[in-house]
Amino acid sequence: MKALRYLVLFALIATVAPNAKAQFEKAEVWVSGMTCSMCQMATQKSLKTIDYIGSIEPNLKTNSFILTFKKGKEVDLDVIKKKIKDAGFSVSRLITTFNFNNRTSVTNNFVFTYAGSTYRFVNVGDKVLHGEVNLLLLSSGFVSTSDYKRYSAQNFDPSYKTGMSGKARILHVTLASN
Amino acid sequence: MNKSAIPALIFVIAILFFSKAGAQELFVATEPASNMAKNSIRLRLSNEAVLETDFKSRTSLGIMYGLNKSLTLNVNAFMADFYQRKQRINGYSFYGKYRFLNSDNVQKHFRGAVFAQYSTVKFPIIHDEINLAGENNGLQGGIVFTQLLHKLALSGSVSYTQSLDKFIPGHEMLHDNAHNSIAYTLSSGYLIFPREYTDYKQINTNVYLEFLGDSHTGSGRNFMDASPAIQFIFNSKIRLDFSKRVQLWGNMERRFKNLYQVRVEYNLFNVF
Repeated sequence: MKALRYLVLFALIATVAPNAKAQFEKAEVWVSGMTCSMCQMATQKSLKTIDYIGSIEPNLKTNSFILTFKKGKEVDLDVIKKKIKDAGFSVSRLITTFNFNNRTSVTNNFVFTYAGSTYRFVNVGDKVLHGEVNLLLLSSGFVSTSDYKRYSAQNFDPSYKTGMSGKARILHVTLASN
Repeated sequence: MNKSAIPALIFVIAILFFSKAGAQELFVATEPASNMAKNSIRLRLSNEAVLETDFKSRTSLGIMYGLNKSLTLNVNAFMADFYQRKQRINGYSFYGKYRFLNSDNVQKHFRGAVFAQYSTVKFPIIHDEINLAGENNGLQGGIVFTQLLHKLALSGSVSYTQSLDKFIPGHEMLHDNAHNSIAYTLSSGYLIFPREYTDYKQINTNVYLEFLGDSHTGSGRNFMDASPAIQFIFNSKIRLDFSKRVQLWGNMERRFKNLYQVRVEYNLFNVF
């Protein structure tokens, strides 16, 4: 039965290839460990070196940044995480806006691929998505350590802990409550 | 309870009572376990002075570089007129810090790092105190932990220093045959302004109180210093520190028991 479930998943990966225009448009990232405006400045300067980021809008009150991505550039969310680590801090929360150009029915474990990475929906229920959708990242490195423990306890599929599905990077997402 | 712990404890309790602002860990007399951002440079010009008989001072220029998220390197050059008429460069120190522990959470973090320092000076000044900030040749290794807990930034370190001074005949007595020491520090700081961050241009004002203890492993001689400081940060890039160092107690032979320090720091990001 389990084998069948994974077969269905692989079929989904193969068939729900997103159309060419579907893409990440922006993200809001909250950084933990930052305690001063100088630290936030250092983090912003580190993010500024990412080629797909068009603009950065800092919020010093909430220790967060709104990142707008350049159109047509491939977005690798792991790079954001790495640049924040390089500055000495950690991502505690990341919500990204993905544009579903086509009406897409999603359910738990629904996956789509983008720029070589796989994105898997969890805790979502049955929904139809269209247009701009805010996705909350649940994967390790995109949530606080306490949240990661909480999500790990929910027993998602094994790739949640490894972050890999075969040789491909997999990121777990859910719909962000607005 | 150890005598040294009492003022520190009083300070900590005082902060917990009246602090409504954030914590700050840009310590003045010590280095926190936190690192520089990768590929950033910090330039520091410090001047420490004594006002004992006449005005004498030591200037140091430091360049710190964040090699990666875990490793920070620093070089210092020292220039002083403490022991000669004119200011001249009389020493260098090399410092490295490796962060091995990093736990970030909302409004709190805990970091641990190990550090090592090597110092070389042209004319070592032989006292009981082994001072790697421009007075003695030596090697130091230590460990530091920094904790930010809501409103309170605390940092503590322990280090071991080995003197590499070559002894000049007649000077041995002053060292009391102790060529190594254990230093321990406890630092605390908090942000008094702004009450709430809104943009990078706000002037930040931080105050610190740090305790710096030192004890010879052989002779049992020791001292305990307190170092209060006030700090201003402009444009989230330029830092200005004013601090004082006062000996609380001790029986070590030292050149200076009271020092004033002024420091300017400039931060550059993504330099290479």
